[in-house]
Formats: sequence, structure tokens, C-alpha cells
Amino acid sequence: MNEMSNKWIGQSTIRPDGAEKVTGRAEFAADTNMPGMIWGSVLRSPHAHARIVSIDTSKAEAHPGVKAVVTAQDIVDFPVDTPVPLGIQDMRWMCRNIMAREKVLFHGHPLAAVAATSEAIAAEACKLIEMEYEVLPWVIEIEDAIKPDAPILHEYLEHDGKPSNITGTLEHKLGDVEEGFAQADVIIERSFTTRPVHQGYIEPHACLVSVAADGKTTIWSSSQGQFMVRAMTAMLTDMPQSDIRAIPAEIGGGFGGKTIVYLEPVATMLSKKSGRPVKMVMSREDVMRASGPTSGSMSTVKIGATKDGQIVAAEGTFYLQAGALPGSPIRGAAGCGFAPYNIPNVHSVGIDVVSNRSKVAAYRAPGAPIGAFAVESVLDEVAEALNIDPLELRLRHAAREGTKAAHGPTYPLIGFVETIEAAIEHPHYKAPLGKHQGRGVASGFWFNAGGESSAQVNITEDGNVVVTTGHPDIGGSRAAIANVAAELLGIDYRRVSVLIGDTATVGYSNLTGGSRVLFASAMAVTDSAGQVITTLCERAAKIWDIDPDAVTWEDGEARPAGDNAGQFEPLSLADIAAQATQTGGPIGHGAQLNTTGAQGGFATHICDVEVDMDLGIVKVLRYTSFQDVGRAVHPAYVEGQMQGGVAQGIGWALNEEYIFDKDGHVDNPGFLDYRMPVCSDLPMLDAVMIEVPNPAHPQGVRGVGEVPLVPALAAIANAVHNALGLRFSSLPMSPPKVLAALEMPEAAE
Amino acid sequence: MYNFNYKKASSRDDAVAAQSSADDGSYLAGGMTLIPTLKQRLAQPSDLIDLADVGDLAGISDDGGAITIGAMTTHATVAESEVVTSKIPALAALAGHIGDPQVRNRGTIGGSIANNDPAADYPAGCVGLNATIITNKRELPAEDFFTDLFETALEEGELVTAVSFPIPDKAAYAKFPNPASRYAIVGVMVAQTGGETRAAVTGASQSGVFRAADIEAALGSGLDAAAAKEVKVSADNLNADIHASAEYRAHLISIMASRAAAAAG
Repeated sequence: MNEMSNKWIGQSTIRPDGAEKVTGRAEFAADTNMPGMIWGSVLRSPHAHARIVSIDTSKAEAHPGVKAVVTAQDIVDFPVDTPVPLGIQDMRWMCRNIMAREKVLFHGHPLAAVAATSEAIAAEACKLIEMEYEVLPWVIEIEDAIKPDAPILHEYLEHDGKPSNITGTLEHKLGDVEEGFAQADVIIERSFTTRPVHQGYIEPHACLVSVAADGKTTIWSSSQGQFMVRAMTAMLTDMPQSDIRAIPAEIGGGFGGKTIVYLEPVATMLSKKSGRPVKMVMSREDVMRASGPTSGSMSTVKIGATKDGQIVAAEGTFYLQAGALPGSPIRGAAGCGFAPYNIPNVHSVGIDVVSNRSKVAAYRAPGAPIGAFAVESVLDEVAEALNIDPLELRLRHAAREGTKAAHGPTYPLIGFVETIEAAIEHPHYKAPLGKHQGRGVASGFWFNAGGESSAQVNITEDGNVVVTTGHPDIGGSRAAIANVAAELLGIDYRRVSVLIGDTATVGYSNLTGGSRVLFASAMAVTDSAGQVITTLCERAAKIWDIDPDAVTWEDGEARPAGDNAGQFEPLSLADIAAQATQTGGPIGHGAQLNTTGAQGGFATHICDVEVDMDLGIVKVLRYTSFQDVGRAVHPAYVEGQMQGGVAQGIGWALNEEYIFDKDGHVDNPGFLDYRMPVCSDLPMLDAVMIEVPNPAHPQGVRGVGEVPLVPALAAIANAVHNALGLRFSSLPMSPPKVLAALEMPEAAE
Repeated sequence: MYNFNYKKASSRDDAVAAQSSADDGSYLAGGMTLIPTLKQRLAQPSDLIDLADVGDLAGISDDGGAITIGAMTTHATVAESEVVTSKIPALAALAGHIGDPQVRNRGTIGGSIANNDPAADYPAGCVGLNATIITNKRELPAEDFFTDLFETALEEGELVTAVSFPIPDKAAYAKFPNPASRYAIVGVMVAQTGGETRAAVTGASQSGVFRAADIEAALGSGLDAAAAKEVKVSADNLNADIHASAEYRAHLISIMASRAAAAAG
């Protein structure tokens, strides 16, 4: 941290979006309307896997009230043999995901869309589209998809020289694991499975798109990146990006799931064909069937240690479901699992597997909780076998500055050790446990990201401040940016208004994802505010008729730098703004940066559970997370991120799962059947923020949003093991499964 | 949602008359099930007769031996009622754990029992507490009212007006909520009223609420919780779904009955 006074950084200031949200005035994408607007509806596949023989839309087109129909023929085809990367996505798969092309690949896969004068007419007309299919055998689970005789989703994708559902691999190697295991006295090897879980954002995907007669297009949508919406829509509809203005609506949750498009290109084509603005809103069922949850997984982890407690080798294989099209977060699973530890020999492999379910999307530290669940469960067993306290084992091997990680980097200053030490010292770790209660610990890592970010800082004529950044705010970035700007300019945070610009009003800014937004946008704001302060000093110098170098900016006002500069009354922001026209014109500066120096995030969790021995219910009694948060610019929001991550982890560990029926359809596509925890299921989730400021960032910021989920699955499973002596290697630990395992321990596997 | 005619009834007679003159009229109480059903186009009544303004359908009265709850009384009102919490706390607790706060402030006892969802809480409350269902035409015991899955003894146009609960000597309701919907996977109302022991089970059976005879026998007059726990309930004719198998539900019946008995003391 630099030498700032920190009047506002570190304060839980009032969030700028609060009043609008609690009074119902915040404008979400589904709230937007335009004159002449019509409604789009999507026809979705009734089959899990089928070849499309023909589509006849003529009856739908003739239906009264229908204004346009689109199919894959209206969406740009990216041939399957040429990769077209856009961020972590590939447009070959994106074009096939938003509209089925050669085949339908999952139940709910879009086939066509209709725009009509009402939502009901559009839905009715969808039913008039005549489809002819050649129904194909389908496969959902990883273990079935990798069998030699499995139905193949994409015949042109090969693995080991033949068509395969294995559509990608990734490998990290450090040292020599064979040599390492040869030195080990204790080797534990276990296999694990996790189920696909949905991000569970409360707001379904929605957009309103208007393509004017001259092609100028405006998109209001719910996304984690208006520039991503613009780029993908432009590519999928063959329009120049400059014709598209993508406006980020207020967002009702994303957690990674809104980092790709589903509706926007379709609505754009419907609007283009009909000449009318088109609104599309997914139902909850559409969201659950056809938007991306995170992967289910199948992994094996092997860890070897000497009897004096040194871990000498670690190996992991992580199979992740990609859904119907390639691209699962194997990097997160295989890369993050071992990342917290200094282990000399590591071999970690990620394997991407396609199957007939909706394509996965990012979900909070994508892949990392899957890797950590396996690694941290095995570490727990290693500690037990060696009779070492599990936090002590982690502390001995904790990565620190200079540790070389298997996934590549040599760590700069990181605060992982501090999280373990804080956990060991915390009263929670020593609190007594009752009957059928257990305590588990686990740690976790997330990469965090930097990348492109733009900002504009403008001084209003009355001497207040408007800051515009380019990232949808899903975790408190506006509040935190207000703190940063207020701190830099030396003014009250209530004088700073922070807005999210659209693609026409702010410079390119990459997605809200990777725990990158505050890290990157605070750098752009710092750069812009620095330029503003320079200008303010220049203006004061002009007013005083002295050299600009003789002016300093302190506590929100320009002051003569010293006695030699002359005797002048300080000039406030308002004083200088009032004379802006006479001293050189409007005051404002922007910055467009490609930020670097984002450093990894680490966390350690302690969880206490109680098992209801008659019912099999696992209840979380107490939960404390310890996280290196870099600098908590807005502590209430950081605490909220930590609690939110843990809450999602508790759902993933104990109850959440996609369930498929015998026809390959999702059997629980709504909150009446998808088992997400609610507040009354959870104890207070205690968050201990440990500040090891990132030296590569002007405010010391590290990403904080994703790592809180990473250790949770393992911490809970380790607690259950501690309570029952049973190790659950397959999630979720739902009551019927726990009860079955109490009666017959094999059921835990 | 399909189109329908909307009528806000001003009195019981007005409601019944509107229903009888409609092609396919449906009473609207809290709408917690009916409205979502309409939105999904799973039902197409010609007319909705809204009971919200029929003032004398809501309210709770205590006549000494029994508590009578008007059909349009919300779950939240029952849960917070001084009369109910003091005389039949088991019923107040049951109402206080239906759905979520929004549902409890819209949903009504009359709407719930007329719908007879096999996983709803009130049917177990009514049968377990030996309530009397009062309609615009007659009074009938709860056991005769709930006939099958989403089926009741109500005749076409017949309107539930109130439910009367005799004050039990002891009672408690124990529920294993569905972790997603919070409906009962199994809920058991154990009560002793005028010397009779009842254990009414919701959520478990393919035909809706029922009295578990073997559990009642085990509970006996002393509400023996330990004995109830030992009863091996048959899984035959029990529901099985993605949340719980028939066997798990059978197991839950004994456990929840035992816990209810222990709580009833």
C-alpha cells in the first residue's frame, strides 16, 4: 500500500445502486421497452441428440402476428475446421450453441426463433415449425461419454487418431512424479465425482434489440460484458462492431454465467428481418435447460509423502464435462488444484469431454473448486495417515513468494501462509465439538486476472466527479471505484458518481470475470484521476499565475507547494471547476489500459458440520473463511463476496445437482426442484479478511470474488469425514445418500 | 396465460352465484398454485372468481373447545395469531413454515386444502388435528374431505368457508422439507385430542394425506416417540421422485412421527 491517508479506501460506503434496487427502479434488461416492440421466442430441441434432416418454417411465417423467423441459416457459420477464438470462447462452438446447425446436441438446444406481436403468438408459432430429425443415441455422463462405443457428438473431432468425445487436454508438469513417488512412505490415491451445478443467478437472460433501417443497432442486455455482447453479436450476424451499441442493463447476478451470448444475436437477426425492436426473455426453465452450468467432473488424485511429513509428489487427472460443445474449465481444475502448495514433483492433467447436455459456462473460479475438492480431500487423508494436523501440513507446504507453481508462475508476494496461520490461531479452530459433529479445513487458489480496462474521470461544472468504467457491476465495483476516486481526489465519496458506460461511451473493457474488475478498473481510474489532478494543478497555477510545479493537490484542493510558491488561498475542486472555461476548458481525462500484475488469490476455510444420524442431513454449524484480499477497498462487499462464495459451495457440496431423466432431459429445470440453499439453511458465514496488499497495484488490490468458493466443497467433505469417519468422494452429500452411507459405507463413493 | 373473465365477489352468495353461472369457473383464493398454473397454460378456466373481498371468509375465532379459521386467512396470520399460538401452537408452527414469507402472506388455508397438494402441510394438520371442514353447504371431517391426489370431496361450485380445529391435548408437526421447494417430502402431524392419538402424514403417499395406523398404534396414548421410531413403514404406494425414494420416505415417516411425538411431549 502506498502512503495514502485512506480516508475512503477501506470504508463500507453506501452502495450507489442500493436505493434504485430496493425501490424497484433499477432497470434490468427485461424492463426495457421500445415503441413498436415485438417479442421473440425460441423453438428448442425435444431430443438430446439428433441430426436435423429438415426445417420448414413456412407455416410459422404465415401465422398471423408473426413478423420474422430465423434459423441457423441466418447466423454466420464458422466452419468446424478453423478455430476462431474470442477470449476463452471459440466462435465455431458459439455459433452452434446459439442455434443448432448440423445436429441438435442437447434437449433444449435452440433450433429456430420467431418474433411476433405478442409473446404468446411467438410461442404458438414456434410450434408450427415442422422439424424432421434423425434421432441419435445420446450420452450425458463422463464415464459413458469416454467409453469406446459411446455415441460421438462431433465426428470431426479426434482424440488418439479417432473420433472421440474427448475434445481437449491440458497438462502441467513440474519435476518428476515417478521419482517423487519412489521416495514416498505414504501414498494416497482416490477418485472423486462432482455433479454439474448452475450459477443460480436470479435474473434470467434477457435482451431488447433494435436494428434501425440503416443497420445501426442498439442492444440492451443482461451480461457480464457489453463489449463481449458487441463482439459476439457482430461476428455472429456479420455486422461491423461500429454499427452496434451494446448497453449494459443493471444485472441480477451472473457468477460467470453471463460471459457469453445466447439471445442477443438471435434477437438482432429477428429485428433486422422484421424491422421492429425485438425483446427476448428466457424462462427459468430455458435458463436451467439451455444456459451453461458448470461442469460435472470425474477426477483421480494421488499424493505421496515421506513419514516425516514431506509431500514429495502429487498427480491429478481431471475429466470435466464441457457440455455439447468443447471448452470446459480444465485449466481451473488441473491448474488450481495443486497451486497452493510447494510440491517438488507434480503432474496434473485436465481432459475436456463433450456430452449431450447444455454447453457449460463460467462459474465462479471455473474448474478450481473441482480440482480443490479432490486435492484437498486427499491432503486430509495424507495428514491423517501421517498424524499431522491438517492445517499444519498445509502450512509446511504453503506456497509463498518465490515458490514455483506447477501451472507456470513463480509467485510474487502472496498471502497464503497468512491465511493458514490466521486459521490456526482463530478460536473457531479450537472450539469444542459435540456428538455427530465434525470439523474440516481446506485451502484454495484462483488465478485472478488483469487485462483491458478503460475509464473516464470528468469534473462537472459544479466541481463534482463522474467516473465512467466499462465493466458491468456484479460484485460492488461501482462502490469500490467511488472509494478509490474519492481517495485519489481527496473528496467525499458522495461527490463521486460511478457509471457503467456502454460500448459507444467508454473505451474497450474486457469482461467482468476472473475477479479482474476492481483490479483493472481501479488502475484505469487511478491513471485518469492522476491526469485530472495534474490538470487541476495547472489550472490553479494559471489562476495564481505561478508555475504548475509549484502547486500540489491535497485534501481535495490545490495549494501552493511551499512558501516559495507564494501565498494563495487554496482552490477547491468547485473553485477550479467554476473557472474551467476561462482557464482552458472542460476538465476530464481517460485511460485505456491493458493491465498486468494481477496476482493469485488464496483462501483457507474451517467448517463445522453436524450430521443428523436418523435423516442423513448435514448441517453446517459454523463456517469461517480466511482470505488474502489484498486491500479491502470496500470491506462490506469483500465480506459479501466471501460469504456468497461459501454459500454456493455449501449448495454444491450438500444438495445441488442437475438430474437427467431416462430421455436425457433435465428433470429439475427450476427452483422448485433444483436444490439451492437459502439463508435459513445457512449459519452466519464468518469472513476474516487478511490484507497482504498487491505490490503491483496502486491500491494493493487483488481479485476477491472467486477464490471464496474454491475450498468450500472439500472443507465440508472433510468436516463430514471428521464427524462420521466416512469419506464422501461423490457430491452432493444429500440426505438420502448420507443416510445410505451410514447404513452401508460403500454408498459414500 | 389464456384469457379469462375476472370477477371480484362481494359476498359468499355472490361468489357462489358467479361460479354457477360460469362455463368453467374457478375460485381464486391466494392464487399461490392457481396463478402459476395459469401462467404456464396448464389450466384454462373461463372465469376466475376472486374471494379477496369476501370479508367474512377471513379471521380466526375461539369458541372455547375449538378454533375456527376462515378459509381466506393467510398462513402468516395463522402463524402469528395469538389464539392459535397459545391454543394450538403446532398449527401455528406448521403455518409458519409453509413456503416463504411471500407465500405465507398470500396463501390461504382454504386455498391450500381445496387444492390438496399431496406435499402441502395443511392436509396433515387438518387430518392430524381431526379438523372439521366447513363449506357453504355442509360440514365434514377432514379425513373425508381429502380424497386423493389434488382431489377433495368438494362438489362443483362448493366453497370452503372455514376450518374448525378442536383444541388438542398435545400436538406437534415435524416436517422434512424438500431442499428446493420447501414442500414436505414427509410431514407428520402427531396429535392427541380427547384421548385419540393421530399421526397424519403428508408428502409421502401417492394418494395424498393419510393416517399412519401402525405409527398411531406404536405411539399409543402416551405418544411413545421411541416406539414410533422403531416402526418399519412399508414403502408400498409411497411417492418416489428425484429427491427421495419410496424407501427413504418410508424411513422418514417413522423418524418424523417420532420427532413430532417427542416435541408434542
